[in-house]
Amino acid sequence: MATSNTEKSPGNWLHFLYKFFTSFKLATLVLVLLTFITLFGTLAQVNHGLVASKRFYFDSWFLWYSIKEVDGSFTPVFPFAPGGMLLMVILFTNMLMGAIVKVKKRLRGIGLLISHSGMLLLLAGGFVSHKFGTDGFIALYPGMKSSKVESYREWQLELIPVNDADKAEKAFVIPTEALNALRLNQEKVFPMPDLPFDVKINSYAANSSPIPTSAPMSAQVEGKEIDGFKLANQELSKKAEQNLPGAYVEFVPKEGGDPIEAILWSGSAKFDPKEKNMPFQFRVGDQRFAAQLAKKTWRVPYEIELDEFIFERHPGTGVAKEYRSRITRFEEGKESQSLDIRMNEPMRYGGYVFFQESFGPPDAPAGQMYSQFAVANNPADQWPLIAVSITGLGLLIHFCMSLNKFVSRTRKSNKKKAEAA
Amino acid sequence: MIFRSKITQLGSALSLALVLSSCNSDKAAEIRVRELPEEERELKMVATSAERFRFRAQKASDSAGSVQKTGGPQLVYETPEGWTVLDSAMMRDVNLTFGENGEGECYLTRLPGAGGGLEPNVNRWRKQMGAASLSAEEIAALPKKPLFGQQATFIKVDGNFGGMSGADAKENYRLLGLILSSEAGAVFVKMTGPKDLVEKNKAGFDQFTSTLDVSLN
Repeated sequence: MATSNTEKSPGNWLHFLYKFFTSFKLATLVLVLLTFITLFGTLAQVNHGLVASKRFYFDSWFLWYSIKEVDGSFTPVFPFAPGGMLLMVILFTNMLMGAIVKVKKRLRGIGLLISHSGMLLLLAGGFVSHKFGTDGFIALYPGMKSSKVESYREWQLELIPVNDADKAEKAFVIPTEALNALRLNQEKVFPMPDLPFDVKINSYAANSSPIPTSAPMSAQVEGKEIDGFKLANQELSKKAEQNLPGAYVEFVPKEGGDPIEAILWSGSAKFDPKEKNMPFQFRVGDQRFAAQLAKKTWRVPYEIELDEFIFERHPGTGVAKEYRSRITRFEEGKESQSLDIRMNEPMRYGGYVFFQESFGPPDAPAGQMYSQFAVANNPADQWPLIAVSITGLGLLIHFCMSLNKFVSRTRKSNKKKAEAA
Repeated sequence: MIFRSKITQLGSALSLALVLSSCNSDKAAEIRVRELPEEERELKMVATSAERFRFRAQKASDSAGSVQKTGGPQLVYETPEGWTVLDSAMMRDVNLTFGENGEGECYLTRLPGAGGGLEPNVNRWRKQMGAASLSAEEIAALPKKPLFGQQATFIKVDGNFGGMSGADAKENYRLLGLILSSEAGAVFVKMTGPKDLVEKNKAGFDQFTSTLDVSLN
């Protein structure tokens, strides 16, 4: 009885947790598991692509055994191993408690203390990048100016009240997270508190293509025909940014009446900076609305204007020799700097990094092309450099102190030998 | 004993964390409101699903056969001798046939985005010919040919052509194709026909694809 009470006492629990998380064996086990996760996560990129592999192995708390669905997506069934996120959180806790809190603070241990601090900063940087980093792109033709960054992979469903001049002021957004949680043939109703209708999604495909019912292959496509089209599900591409999601959607008037059906497809969104999205339009009561799958967007705190896109090919080939963009940056409407962005020479400014990424359209002649910039925002951008420097410094100090100790011992030993002789 | 008990309790705590981490939060379904910036306030309203999905209505081709009117910038190309230019159709921006009875066909399709990606499309075509899929490495190693000034992946498959419907496969056919796929857009050129006929017209395929260009006039 007494033993039982001792077992359940909070102090005992805390002691157990303290021992568990400061254990050297735990650190060793986690590092071994991380090695395997890194190995399998890297190999998986060959078959599943970068984004899917990263999500499965490194961004996850657990690795889930999953069943492949008809639409190519995976439904998790049970976890079979800890994921990269869990392992890194345990490693962080272990190093913080074991190598920083638990160890006796002595001068001779200062080097190891510093190097462990560097490793903790590296792990913290990884978490900050994962949680708060963003990546997207801006595509501009010469003369265009923008601060709007578009996501590569995140699509959202937008409902837009439209006036008779085809103009709109705001969009009601069903966010990416809600759409990504849906599966093929899974129904879900999204109540729209500020609109005269609710949205019912009858099926959502993460990669899809509309097929005209006049095409022979439409006979093989499941799903309802709407306005001469069916939505064909497609296998997910290894390059996640190439997936074009689509959905069977109903707009259900709250006042009653027949629902309005539509196929929404992300391919109706603009793929060229000169284009505009082509939404589905419908009317509920006297009000016109538009609905579209659009890429998630956000703003950088300044605008850039593409002055010139310089593109050269190797003579006699279609291979790009060099391409670079001459841009001007504007802050609060005023010109602040002109510069070139080219491969391996990005622009770093205001917490964002602009890389020269690509160009298009593929069939456009030189001089008629747009330039595309990858725009990354990573608050921990420089943390790995700082962390590795700190770790290196700590190890150097530890090495010097050990060397000094060794030299002193050797001297003493030699002195004793000399005296004995 | 104490240690085993703690391990059990720690296991329970981890299980609880597991359950909590796997729960879908209702926050995901929260509807947000986005103020539209000036450049997004004017919408492009199109009348039909065909336009929304970028399928063009059928148009008459230029009678000369060497210039295909597409509205705005035009696709231009040389029509190989003996080939016939047909009207463009859904999913066929350029539509050509060859052979005595027009049994060979060659067409160009443009799709937004990557058009589903290179690998799925290469293997889709191979499947239509009854051939096995290729791995990513094998597809990356396929030969390249120029298309619109860039290096497009060249596909050559022999087999029984089942077409897109997969029904009534035509025996002893050959498929030649070029795929140019990037996030900026995808271009597909596909030529199919009886193997001997395609072999005789392979120079025509090269002539057609190497002269394809965009005219801004």
